[in-house]
Amino acid sequence: MDSRYDIAIIGSGPAGLSAAINSKIRNKNIIVFGNVDLSKKLIKAPKINNYLGFYDITGVELKDKFDSHIKDMGINLIYEKINAVYAMGDYFSLLVNEKMYEASAVIIATGMEFDKPINGELKFLGKGVGYCATCDAPLYRNKVVSIIAYNKEAEEEANFVSEVADKVYYIPMYNGEYNINTDVEIVKDIPVEITGHEKVEILKLKKKNLLTQGVFVLKDSVAPDQLVPGLLIENGHIKVQRNMSTNIDGCFAAGDCTGKPYQYLKSAGEGQVAALSAVLYLDSIKNGI
Amino acid sequence: MVNIINDSSFAQEINKDGAPVIVDFWAAWCGPCKMLSPVIDELSSEYGEKARFFKLNVDENPVTSMQFNVASIPTVIIFKNGKLAETLVGFRPKQAFKSAIDKYI
Repeated sequence: MDSRYDIAIIGSGPAGLSAAINSKIRNKNIIVFGNVDLSKKLIKAPKINNYLGFYDITGVELKDKFDSHIKDMGINLIYEKINAVYAMGDYFSLLVNEKMYEASAVIIATGMEFDKPINGELKFLGKGVGYCATCDAPLYRNKVVSIIAYNKEAEEEANFVSEVADKVYYIPMYNGEYNINTDVEIVKDIPVEITGHEKVEILKLKKKNLLTQGVFVLKDSVAPDQLVPGLLIENGHIKVQRNMSTNIDGCFAAGDCTGKPYQYLKSAGEGQVAALSAVLYLDSIKNGI
Repeated sequence: MVNIINDSSFAQEINKDGAPVIVDFWAAWCGPCKMLSPVIDELSSEYGEKARFFKLNVDENPVTSMQFNVASIPTVIIFKNGKLAETLVGFRPKQAFKSAIDKYI
């Protein structure tokens, strides 16, 4: 484990990067988690005309500008996916599977995923529905587990669970080759509903029903309140004050994850505000205010 | 002070009247449980005599875990006067536990 950072930033879109540069300018020790394309959404934009100063630009060109800016400031991204952020009181623990990072403040800039939860997913969360198969696998020893997988990373989790559970169903929501143990049954179908009484009993698909005790929904990004337990969400977005602070002291949010409009310049602006607020927060705790 | 509780001592400890009893269901292989442990310790110190805190290892105590439908860990259950009052699944910050426990003090 590295030493404790001042600010950890989760997300490398305009919000996260703007937060990063502003934190760096204020001489804070930062760590930024993101992906190699910076923002998968940005690079798909064919033309952007409302980002002040960069008119008639493509998403890829704007992304290249962001990249040059952060490189010029010596900011390097960590290409690791944070599974969880635990608010420990005077610091935060950020987990990438078993690996742990610590930071005094956190800025959530994870963007907005538009997939709605499956019927019953939220109702049975913690009662058979989970987002981390490797975390909960031992609870399903000798039981049936269904994995609804949105990406290739889920394959490894499925293989791990198959060593513990009695039976594993793998429902891929993506195409390609599936590197899965032969005893895992691949089911090409669409999830419709998760049902049961006190706990999960059935996963209903379009073409058939699966009797199962565990359902794991494995996606690219984790919903903010799953990522940061205790984080207050309102209308599907992280609830923030004008200074981008959330209900958890030391935790700030910026960009699409805080709400509409989903616009790049708005995100960059919020990233700056979040960074400056985080800096103020850090200075206040250092001075014992 | 957080004490250990198990299948055999459970009923006896829970059925004492008065202060709420908070049980942290955990396992050695569970990451979030390890993160929660110091939070439970802090809560125990802060509440003193006003609430009783216990830890129960789910691998070693399957009977109690099944009795209360513990399907995901960590799970923290608040008992009041021998009955289950509230179940909190998953890690959450100390303040969130305080808000829940304070309802039963």
